[in-house]
Amino acid sequence: MIFDLRTATIIVSLALIILVGSLTVYSVTSIDIYYFFRFLLISIFAILLVTLIFNQINLNRILSVGWVLFLLNIIIVLSVEFLGSEVKGSKRWLDFGFLSLQPSEFMKITFALFVIQYLRFYSFQFNTFRTLFLLAVLFISAIPIIIQPDLGTGLVYILLGLMLLFICGMNKFYFVGMAGFGILLSPIIYSFGLTTYQKSRIVSWFSSDQNLSEKWNILQSEISIGSGGLLGEGFLNSKQNEFNFLPEADTDFIFSIYAEQFGFLGVLSIFMLLGLFIVLTTVISMEQKRLTDDLSPYFLGTYFCLVIGFSFLLNILMVSGLIPVVGLPLPFFTKGGSSLLCFSIMIGLIFSSRNFLR
Amino acid sequence: MKDNRFAIYRGRTRLLLSIFIIILVISTGRFFYLQAIKGTELRDLREQNINDFEYIYPKRGRILSRDGIVLAEDRKVYSIAIDLEQKPSEKSIQAFSNIFSDRTSFEEIKSRVEESLKFRRSEVVLTKLGQEELAKFLVRGEDLTGFSIIEDYERQYDPHPSFFHVLGHMGYLTESDAAHFSTRIDDYDSKLWRKVGKSGIERVYENELQGKHGKKFFQRNARGDRRVITGEEPFSEGNEIIISIDYEAQKLAYELMQGNKGSIVVIDLKDFSIPVAVSTPSISANDLRGISSSQYQELLNDSSRPLFNRAFMGLYPPGSSIKPLFATFAISNSYTSWDETIFDDGFFRFEEEQRVFNAWKEGGHGYTDLNKALVESSNPFFMNLSVKYEKSKFVELLKSSSFGSKLCEDCYPHQYSPLIDDAWKRKNFGKDLFKGDFINLGIGQGYMLTTPLHLSLIAGMLASKGQYKLPYLVRKNELDFSIDVEIQEADWVKLNQALIDVVYSSNGTGYRIKAGNLNLAGKSGTAQVVDINSREEYDEVRKNINLRDHAIFIGYAPFDDPRYSIAVIVENGESGGRVAGPIARDVLEELIDDI
Repeated sequence: MIFDLRTATIIVSLALIILVGSLTVYSVTSIDIYYFFRFLLISIFAILLVTLIFNQINLNRILSVGWVLFLLNIIIVLSVEFLGSEVKGSKRWLDFGFLSLQPSEFMKITFALFVIQYLRFYSFQFNTFRTLFLLAVLFISAIPIIIQPDLGTGLVYILLGLMLLFICGMNKFYFVGMAGFGILLSPIIYSFGLTTYQKSRIVSWFSSDQNLSEKWNILQSEISIGSGGLLGEGFLNSKQNEFNFLPEADTDFIFSIYAEQFGFLGVLSIFMLLGLFIVLTTVISMEQKRLTDDLSPYFLGTYFCLVIGFSFLLNILMVSGLIPVVGLPLPFFTKGGSSLLCFSIMIGLIFSSRNFLR
Repeated sequence: MKDNRFAIYRGRTRLLLSIFIIILVISTGRFFYLQAIKGTELRDLREQNINDFEYIYPKRGRILSRDGIVLAEDRKVYSIAIDLEQKPSEKSIQAFSNIFSDRTSFEEIKSRVEESLKFRRSEVVLTKLGQEELAKFLVRGEDLTGFSIIEDYERQYDPHPSFFHVLGHMGYLTESDAAHFSTRIDDYDSKLWRKVGKSGIERVYENELQGKHGKKFFQRNARGDRRVITGEEPFSEGNEIIISIDYEAQKLAYELMQGNKGSIVVIDLKDFSIPVAVSTPSISANDLRGISSSQYQELLNDSSRPLFNRAFMGLYPPGSSIKPLFATFAISNSYTSWDETIFDDGFFRFEEEQRVFNAWKEGGHGYTDLNKALVESSNPFFMNLSVKYEKSKFVELLKSSSFGSKLCEDCYPHQYSPLIDDAWKRKNFGKDLFKGDFINLGIGQGYMLTTPLHLSLIAGMLASKGQYKLPYLVRKNELDFSIDVEIQEADWVKLNQALIDVVYSSNGTGYRIKAGNLNLAGKSGTAQVVDINSREEYDEVRKNINLRDHAIFIGYAPFDDPRYSIAVIVENGESGGRVAGPIARDVLEELIDDI
């Protein structure tokens, strides 16, 4: 491995993000240092392990079983329906004792492996049948996630899947068509397709009634963020967390606690690290083409970079009240095995994309 | 071809990257807005989240008698409650139930702890700890984590039943209480008070007595099961109220009633304060504290009505005790003079209606002038006068002697004696007053009703020659009143003499009082409970205690320079002179000995 400046920057910014994320998890969950090391070690270990394994195994090998992994993933998601434990009205967890996993998280990865395996067979040439086939697979595979019910993860899965097809070169008119269709259909979906729980989330975002609990969550999140001010209250000094005013402080809303402790300066630093990491990894992934005629590493690399980037942004937009609460994890911050593992695997895949780190 | 396609891929990736950067910049702006621009505002909201306070109930002001004896005060009581922050362990519940095994059990405490944790409410497990129990708890402190002492105040009254009606009592605030106080107390916040004065001084002086809440500031979490005390603002104790009641005289007056139903009211003519206001029977004010609703209902249903304040609320026909007032009226309007005599044969014949009225004395009083009519209490003499009364002047007299108006601003509850005029009669009987009515009114019977307080005030009016002020318990009423009669100083002297003769002359109805050197002047009265037309009927009535006449005595002493006026009513006591009079004598002796 030869380190140039860009690679060094990527490694350092990722390391810093993981370090800050671990510290934040530690500050939110308990004053027990164990949580800090557990989170830090799991993420570093997972990234290194995946990177090393995937470096040894040829990417082609992984891609050749893409559809198997994808199918397996769907089956596990469906089995969670019957075996999983129920958390806050949704069944989406698989409990392994030391780690509880949300299998639907991994569908972002396995779908990508499947699509790229499929398209590589046709040299990434779309025709009407392939386009419609892939779209059908995407939408049908989203159904098990949505009926869990986890509309947020399902919608994000669809959006990211469409992003993958966009990156892979699907005709842009399909996107225009789907967007128009979606807008026309949305009232019908709202009236018939959503549960009361899902509706209340959407309603609360538009309503000004502060008593609705969803609105209350957002308000508490904004209070946490705002209380940080420019410089923050200092590490371990989040009162919103200390006095339990922010629900889901260790998962979906963890960034608000971070913002309260480290202020706008801390937020800006994380944003800059994230920006650097995403832009640089994407740019490096885009350079794959010069080295090979096989475009799979390029697509995988850029896709996973953007998945991490946009997942981060969606959570940020949610906690700062710009989009409805959809229950999205924040990469390397949210305390939760599946999202940590999922994003670690993505990093490992990016790093192990052929010749990425040479 | 491939290069061309790759250019499309790169273009799309760049587009997505640009969207990413734009959203990142927007997010940065959003965080800058929340943290730099709205930061202070949101931080204030956070402080509102966390910082809370609860009120500390103030210590209520004391009530003292005019001679400085404490009649009511708040005393500290200690209770033990479950501490939500340090949840009691099985072990400390065991230790606790061992220490207080005489008052509680392990199971009971355990279920209370569970309840407490379930509803996140600090349940009280033991109330009213004795000194010994308190010491036991404090000594074993470390074994009893999860339990804490809480201090509170409890109203303690002088246990003597004579004080209950004047002091009143406290009770849980109801909607009607809230409505009552919000019109009388500025910025009254009914949500702040648990208990309020329900009657008596406790109610009238609620504002002064209640004090001001303190505040206990703390930080709390969203679930409310964690608290960190951050500061305290002490309460301010309620004001002390000194009432005009004389401690010993009040107690003595109650005892003198010997359990009979009735009332005694004394007015100090120096300032028209009320040193004695007794209603019997009564209860100890402490007995009403923590009473069960069935016990309370029992008290309400008791036929002797111990909760009813007869002194300010009871309406009795004044009987002959009203005659001196009417005497001043008759002289003022020349219906009679001190020299005029009539022959009293025991009957009064009302020719207009051809009715004959029986008087109490068989055979009558013979030749009778005004002095004798007062001393021996001749009904025919006053009936004879009353047929001459002009209606409007009579009503003016009643009005000027405070019939139909509030007598005492700080007596609560309080009833005024009805003003008997055409309007009153029309309202109750559908027609105007007619001549015949005056025959009964003139001897204090018929429609005429007065409260004991009013009777005592009427005695005071006679003592101070028609000039009077309204009586009070705490706050003096400065307004001057006078009864609407114009009579000479000499007439007042003669009236005074007649009332002295009632007590000291051997033919006086109050001669048996044996007032000695008390220098008591007064007038007895007997109020019929039922209308009686014949003597046979009268004997029949006597057999039923509850139908016997009420004994009344009003008077003042010393007669040469009157200081106190008094009214004594003994329900079913029959003889004003023999029963009510001696009580008046003893009460006034107690008061005058004090001077």
